Amino acid sequence: MKFITRQTDPWHTVCGEDGPIVTLTPRAHSLLTLLQWHSVRSHWPHGMPVAVALNNETDVSDIVNDLPRLGMVSLHFPKWVDGRAYSQARLLRARHRYTGEIRAVGEVVVDMMPLLHRTGFDAVVLRGDQVQASAQRALDFFPAHYQGDTHDNHPRFARQGPATA
Amino acid sequence: MYAYSDFDQQFIQQRAAQFRDQLHRNLEGELGEEEFRALRLQNGWYIQRHAPMLRVAVPYGELNACQLHALADIATRFDKGYAHFTTRQNVQYNWIPLVQSADVMDALAKVQMHGIQTSGNCIRNITSDCFAGVAADEVVDPRPYCEILRQWSTLHPEFAFLPRKFKIAVSGAKEDRAAIGWHDIGLQLLKNAQGEVGFQVQVGGGMGRTPVIGTVIRDFLPWHQILVFIEAVVRVYNRFGRRDNMYKARIKILVKAEGQRFIDEVNREFQQILEKDIDGAAHLIPQSELDRVTAHFRLPLGVEGDVVAAQDAVPMPAQAPLAYIRWLERNVHAHQRAGYRCVTLSLKRAGQAPGDATDVQMHAAADLAERYSHSELRVSHDQNLVLPWVRVANLHALWEAAREASFATPNIGHLTDMIACPGGDFCSLANARSIPIAQAITERFDDLDELLDIGDIDLHISGCINSCGHHHSGHIGILGVDKDGAEWYQITLAGSDGSTQSGPALAGKVIGPSFAADEVPDVIEAVVEAYRGHRVASEKFIDTLKRVGLEPFKTAANAVRRTTAKAAA
Repeated sequence: MKFITRQTDPWHTVCGEDGPIVTLTPRAHSLLTLLQWHSVRSHWPHGMPVAVALNNETDVSDIVNDLPRLGMVSLHFPKWVDGRAYSQARLLRARHRYTGEIRAVGEVVVDMMPLLHRTGFDAVVLRGDQVQASAQRALDFFPAHYQGDTHDNHPRFARQGPATA
Repeated sequence: MYAYSDFDQQFIQQRAAQFRDQLHRNLEGELGEEEFRALRLQNGWYIQRHAPMLRVAVPYGELNACQLHALADIATRFDKGYAHFTTRQNVQYNWIPLVQSADVMDALAKVQMHGIQTSGNCIRNITSDCFAGVAADEVVDPRPYCEILRQWSTLHPEFAFLPRKFKIAVSGAKEDRAAIGWHDIGLQLLKNAQGEVGFQVQVGGGMGRTPVIGTVIRDFLPWHQILVFIEAVVRVYNRFGRRDNMYKARIKILVKAEGQRFIDEVNREFQQILEKDIDGAAHLIPQSELDRVTAHFRLPLGVEGDVVAAQDAVPMPAQAPLAYIRWLERNVHAHQRAGYRCVTLSLKRAGQAPGDATDVQMHAAADLAERYSHSELRVSHDQNLVLPWVRVANLHALWEAAREASFATPNIGHLTDMIACPGGDFCSLANARSIPIAQAITERFDDLDELLDIGDIDLHISGCINSCGHHHSGHIGILGVDKDGAEWYQITLAGSDGSTQSGPALAGKVIGPSFAADEVPDVIEAVVEAYRGHRVASEKFIDTLKRVGLEPFKTAANAVRRTTAKAAA
């Protein structure tokens, strides 16, 4: 899991004083809203790194054709107990074969780490008050699980010989 | 019953360690109360009126004697010496200080128990028939499927923060003893004409403010597809279930609102998992896995009888006491094996709240299980304990021992075998108390001859609209409501849990304005008297209700108003 801080983050949003700018000039490592992306996708230069931020009501299958061009997809947790983005991440990885970065933003707290990791997130922006060392520790409590996940969709019973009790 | 593998054992120990870490961060101030709340809930820890409440999972209601002894020890060591068995076959404690919670989780883990997903907006502990594996009317033993579902749902990373709680019940018998129509997912195991095993799948049942019976969305799903199908259901719910209003967040609201579109979406998601996802078919259950899990439910050593269609008679002692005959009639149930019976240890008796047991009583029940039931017990949906492996030859001795331990009240299925939530005495959600109402009714109907004459009645009491006491599904339902800070009780009639006797699952109808607490026993008595007046021959209460309609019962109930009559005047 990558812990993203503002200092180390290559991605930057494109905002004006009144929120996201709709008419924008392509710049490398832009992190765009879906609306912004739709306005520039047809003329976005080939190979220029771009990312989109989705709210958790977006159907990720809507951006399937864009996925090869997206270096990162940022998924939002408006509240940490709102689990919709887990399904989005899982679908991006397991169904749509997305291999770029999937980043958790919004209210991202320590104890979400195992869930984020297992549903396909590989980067997080922790909420300001969270302790990174605790988040790292939270990833390590369980060496294995019963059901499959985006790293290996085989449940435990399909990962081992049936003879094991 | 299911025996933990090394992996299972390590897993709950890791869970206990994770919880200890969370508790530590909470006590150190690093983890705020609000965030800790959602985490502790998924380990069974609520904060209640007096102290935290701990709900311990009893997967599909199966317990062994060693576990029950351990539960009794926890009641002694950490609580005030008792515990409460719930309609979801779990066990609750009410007085354990939160600082000791991690120690309790360790103690539970030692006997293969935990509180994982007994609360919170996740897939809850899976419930089933209390006679699973021994029922005379069993078509398919549901326990291996329940266990496979338990493992799949345990710490599922995608479904830990659903819009609301999610409850799955599984039945494998002809009689539905698990109220599956009232669950978010209700699964009925059956065999098709070719003898293949599958599930009828209902989705969107639930109680609460808006009682809804589940909709059948698959008549026959081959058993090996069940995990994938449930994944589809829960993913559709996770994505589209409402999160703006807690009272409209259960899947029943989504199913009701979307109707066929919901069913289409689930079917589409199911196909997509199998056809499009990386290793999407990996959760199809191979026969070898079913066999492996089934092997955990091996017959207890020493059980001899064959599975039989018809039961042998219970031999009567020459001069059998009436109390013993009554106990045989009410508390002893058919078994699928020759020479055996299931026996209910009644947790409904005067002086104790329905479903409660003291530490001494829990030890006594565990002792009875060791002596008479191959050390196995079940927790029933009706909040009693069941001994599933009693030899016919031991019934009389068991009866005497059960009497001594206060478990032999011959009232199973009677009015006093009521379901009741802990209510306002303990629960911070409740609007009114349940226990004093239950006690007043128990005292009013303390005559066994009278109970016998009244016959089968499902009486269900909830202290609030969250419906933990299942008032919607009672033949008589009592719901605690709060009006201007006072406790009032709404009475419903003719509800059904979906059993053969009660008919298809149905919410009861309210018979009028709420009653005052002191009127409730009189109302119950008036309703029962109306039944006795109207019944034909040996007609049961619910059948009379259905035949003559609610009017005479309403009239009888309203005639006993005193406090509420004065208030209305």
